[in-house]
Amino acid sequence: MELPPIRIENVTVRYEDRDVLTDVSLTLNEQRIGIIGANGAGKSTLSRLLNGLVLPTQGSVHIGELNTTQHSKQIRRQVGFVFQNPANQIIMPIVSEDIAFGLKNLGMSKNERQQRVAETLSELNISHLSDRESHTLSGGEQQMVALASVLAMRPRTIVFDEPTTMLDLRNRLGFQREVSRLSQRAIVITHDLEILEDFERVLVVTDGHIAFDGPADAAIDHYRAWSHA
Amino acid sequence: MIAAHNTSYLSRIKPGWKFGSLLVLSIALYMITSWQVLLVAFVLSVFLLASARVPMKFLRGPLISITIILGVVFILLGIQTDWLNALRSVLRLLTMCLLAYSVSLTTRFSEMLELFQQVASPLRYVGGNPDQIALALSMTIRFIPELKKVYIEVREAQHARGLANNPLAVTVPLVVRSLKIADETAEALDARGYDSAPTRR
Repeated sequence: MELPPIRIENVTVRYEDRDVLTDVSLTLNEQRIGIIGANGAGKSTLSRLLNGLVLPTQGSVHIGELNTTQHSKQIRRQVGFVFQNPANQIIMPIVSEDIAFGLKNLGMSKNERQQRVAETLSELNISHLSDRESHTLSGGEQQMVALASVLAMRPRTIVFDEPTTMLDLRNRLGFQREVSRLSQRAIVITHDLEILEDFERVLVVTDGHIAFDGPADAAIDHYRAWSHA
Repeated sequence: MIAAHNTSYLSRIKPGWKFGSLLVLSIALYMITSWQVLLVAFVLSVFLLASARVPMKFLRGPLISITIILGVVFILLGIQTDWLNALRSVLRLLTMCLLAYSVSLTTRFSEMLELFQQVASPLRYVGGNPDQIALALSMTIRFIPELKKVYIEVREAQHARGLANNPLAVTVPLVVRSLKIADETAEALDARGYDSAPTRR
């Protein structure tokens, strides 16, 4: 799968009078990218910039040739987003209908939607959840359904915002396994440093700046040292 | 209560026919005054529901509730009017409920929404957006159990602090958390490419 580069150019994001991100510039080409940092450091804002959920106050964000400010619809097709709390991301009362929801927004026909939903559920080994009512799913199942709903749209990049926060160890390992199998680019915002061990690149965000940018082990060491300071 | 998966012959009938028939039969039931005919209709509705192959675990709760409610209705009507009239009314309501269960439990929720969108399509001419209304309906059904969970969590937390009987102590966090859910869900809708503009047809 061809992965378009993500370019963040001199981006500042301001909420009211406070800069949440200040003059951030990055080019992301890797397939596995982690983002770590303290609460309120700007990680979630940085992740939301990538699919246009947050637009920069200054600067620009490009996915390949697309600009998040001007091409929001196309960007949504390319960059999927898995939220921290999957319960709030599942919109439809039945699992298969929820996965089909994004496909309907893409304009796919009913038959195409049904086929894609079955394929995606099968890829993630959760075909047995197809007809379940969404509110009856466990936390781990909800997270897998949230991932399925994003994967079904065949994005090239998937952003995960603290995806394992609400999972027990077994579900966390299962989720981690599925993420490692993805052919898409995965950008994971997390406090769970073990997930990032085999990631190619990890960014440490502190007070709205990129405090460190490098391989996973060095970034984790930097973050640990910062946390203990 | 929504139909997740049903394989009976009723599930293969088009939703428009099922809901149309339900409407016609419900009106017809109000025109029938003979309790014997109403009894036959009730027995037929029992057979219809039985033939829908809905697992008993989905039916037990609603059937118990409806029996209790209609039991109260029967007694009140019997006291206020006469017992034959009470029997006719209760048979009518019971038959309608069983017919409605037979339809709703054998029709996928997405099919009901599609039917709703078709029926409500004239609203487009007066500036309405049936797609948006259908989405709001489905999200209401989806989030009722979530909000119930939040309510229970808030009540437990306030109970632990000795505030379980204070309505304000429960209402304020419930509203705040509901708004947070709404905010996150709006982001999720956006992230999944939902466009609130009316679909051109």
